[in-house]
Amino acid sequence: MEVKIFQEEGAMSAQLIGRLDTPAAMEVTREVQPLIDNADRTIILDCSQMDYISSSGLRIFLTIRKAASAKGGKVVLRGMKEDIRKVFMMTGFLNLFEVEKAQ
Amino acid sequence: MKINELKDKVFLHQSARAGLMLVIVAVVTLEATALIQFYFSQKGIKAEASMRAESQLEATRLKIMNVIDQAESAVRNSEWIAQWCLDYPDSMVAVTRRIVRDNPVIVGSTLALVPGYNPARPLYAPFSYQIPGEKEIHYRQLATQEYDYPSQEWFVKPLELQAGYWSEPYVDEGGADLLMTTYSLPVRDKNGRLAAVLTADVSLDWLTDLVGNVEVYPTAFSMMISRSGQIMVCPVESLVMRKTVQETLLDLNASDTSKLGSINRSMMSGESGNVTLKYQKSTSYIFYAPVERTGWSMSIVIPDEEIFGGIRRIGLIVKLLQLLGVLMLILILRSSIKSQLKYRELSERKEKMESELKIGRGIQMSMLPKIFPPFPERKDIDMFASIVPAKEVGGDLYDFYIRENKLFFCIGDVSGKGVPASLVMAVTRSLFRTVSAHEKSPQRIVTAMNESMADMNESNMFVTFFTAVLDLGNGHMRYCNCGHNAPYVISSEGVSALDVMANLPLGVMPGMSFQEQETDLRCGDGLFLFTDGLTEAENSDHELFGENRLLGQLHPGMVSQEQLRIVSEAIGSYVGTAPQSDDLTMLYVRYLNETVPDNSERHLILHNDIQQIPQLADFVETIAEEARLDQSLAMSLNLALEEAVTNVIMYAYPEGSDGLVDVEAVIRKDSLEFIVSDSGQPFDPTRAPEVDVTLGVEERAIGGLGIYLVRNIMDEVRYERTEGKNVFSMIKFIG
Repeated sequence: MEVKIFQEEGAMSAQLIGRLDTPAAMEVTREVQPLIDNADRTIILDCSQMDYISSSGLRIFLTIRKAASAKGGKVVLRGMKEDIRKVFMMTGFLNLFEVEKAQ
Repeated sequence: MKINELKDKVFLHQSARAGLMLVIVAVVTLEATALIQFYFSQKGIKAEASMRAESQLEATRLKIMNVIDQAESAVRNSEWIAQWCLDYPDSMVAVTRRIVRDNPVIVGSTLALVPGYNPARPLYAPFSYQIPGEKEIHYRQLATQEYDYPSQEWFVKPLELQAGYWSEPYVDEGGADLLMTTYSLPVRDKNGRLAAVLTADVSLDWLTDLVGNVEVYPTAFSMMISRSGQIMVCPVESLVMRKTVQETLLDLNASDTSKLGSINRSMMSGESGNVTLKYQKSTSYIFYAPVERTGWSMSIVIPDEEIFGGIRRIGLIVKLLQLLGVLMLILILRSSIKSQLKYRELSERKEKMESELKIGRGIQMSMLPKIFPPFPERKDIDMFASIVPAKEVGGDLYDFYIRENKLFFCIGDVSGKGVPASLVMAVTRSLFRTVSAHEKSPQRIVTAMNESMADMNESNMFVTFFTAVLDLGNGHMRYCNCGHNAPYVISSEGVSALDVMANLPLGVMPGMSFQEQETDLRCGDGLFLFTDGLTEAENSDHELFGENRLLGQLHPGMVSQEQLRIVSEAIGSYVGTAPQSDDLTMLYVRYLNETVPDNSERHLILHNDIQQIPQLADFVETIAEEARLDQSLAMSLNLALEEAVTNVIMYAYPEGSDGLVDVEAVIRKDSLEFIVSDSGQPFDPTRAPEVDVTLGVEERAIGGLGIYLVRNIMDEVRYERTEGKNVFSMIKFIG
């Protein structure tokens, strides 16, 4: 799992690449700290290259979402693959996030 | 190399000998021809020379005779008047004067009385004459103290002979050194007594011109001698009228003058002839003939060189040309031998190259599996392959092998022909083996192959390629077609082309993505793979064999070897004697496994370490493949299994303790079951509280999602604690 974080105009974006399984989620928890620190802004999570996600992964998404909620920012999901989207749907997570329309 | 050198030497020797013989024959033939021609030419030239000389002699003689006749006639015609004048001596001068006046050839004339005939004038000889270049006729009396005319030859001889007489030529002392001769006629009186001599002096200056200018050949010359051998005309002026031939010969003081002497005698006695004279190394031809009445003899001397010089020069030129011809012949032979040697060398090199190509083709073919049947111990597979390479090395390939109960096979056709194609073919086949050793997905196999091939593809060659992985356990086949001809599926329902997607051939460009497809082969189904060499085989009318003819030869249920034999024969008889332009490659795979198992089991044992979780992904992939699950379902199953295993690792074993997690998968026709068991402390995940997925962000709990996902994905979830173990099983219905 690889996470690339970019500063954008008034926003932060993170590109998640690969499988976000349990061990990956444990690693990524540290890497996404900048996002949580900047949760007052818009956080874009680019999932277009994310191949897999487990509940541990979902927890990271929820952590970021909660931080945003607390600080007044928002979280936007970008480019989810269908299988990933299904998991989000199944867990009701899709309702918690703003989903960017496919370009 | 030694043997070749020896062969070359022998060849060279033979060629040189044949060449030498040729040169000798040519020289002999040329020389003989030239000699014969020379002989006849010489003969003809000699005949012509002698004809020319004789005709010149004759012409000159006739001209001389003309003058002689004129002079003689003038004298004879005056004979009667001279007779009459005998009685009137004072009129005698008129007779002579008239002779000189009326006859241009006569420069002087006298009528000399026989001494004592007329007592009144015992010696009387009036003489009329003309000085050359003057018109006037002079008179002189010859009867003087100084000139005793009665003793002169011109006077004595005619009286003695009692006939006309031409004197020996002489140089006129009175005039300007003129060469003269005199015709004298005895004159009788009425009583028949010899009374006088009437003469006519004829200048012979014209004779020098006439004879001296006889030009048969430039260096030929003429001579005229008198009856006594006096030289009258001759190129050497100092001899003229000074020497006789006899004296000249003596003066020459030469050893061999006998021949000249005999010619001289022959001429002096008025004979005619022609003689070849060798004198002092040079040869001459002498033609001679007399001038009647005068006693003169004329000769023409032609040097041998003059006659034959021309033909000798021609002969020399011919010789030179012959030499040149022979030289050229030798040069041509030399270069011909050389070029033959070169040709031999070239053909040897070509042979060598062809044999190397043959070896190359052998190596190429040996790379392909060629032991058939390839898997005699297996009853679930019947396969056969054949490749009939074209004359030129081609780029067709096929390959197959079994790994993990899966048949990996492929067929390919490299664009182009010849050595480059065969090299690419070898690379392709090696790549297939290397890449497929670690990959089970045809899509990933061809992607990796394409990357390697496109990277090193500077010659822009590409390969149409079809590869498939057939699970021999259940007949499931995953395949990927990269621009190759669609194989035919031969089943009990008939023959149909396999559905293939339009992927690009391998090696076109890097970074291409390839679409994988899958199908199931039932027991007895066959897959017929081929290259376009089959469908594009041409007969002698350049008509293609075509797919329809090929389809007509494919028969369901036929043993693979027999099937390929039938196709081969059909193509063979169609093509006939037309040359094979492309490789003919076929691969026929028949799946014969009747006993597809009802269920199969897979095991995975993990340590209680989160870092082992990724192993589950491969495990699920294997199972999904076996159970022919789509990727989406496989991912869901992976997720459920991960959640179950994570629970065990996190909750069943206390932190820091060592333990194992046993994962078992049972694949059934209609369902899939995962059983996760461990020896940790009792932990029942099904007891976890339900997660309310409808809650908002603030209310959502961080935990509890795992079991929720498991329940959602799987159809049945069960927990048991048996024999000190947590046994958590999940069932998913499929199919």
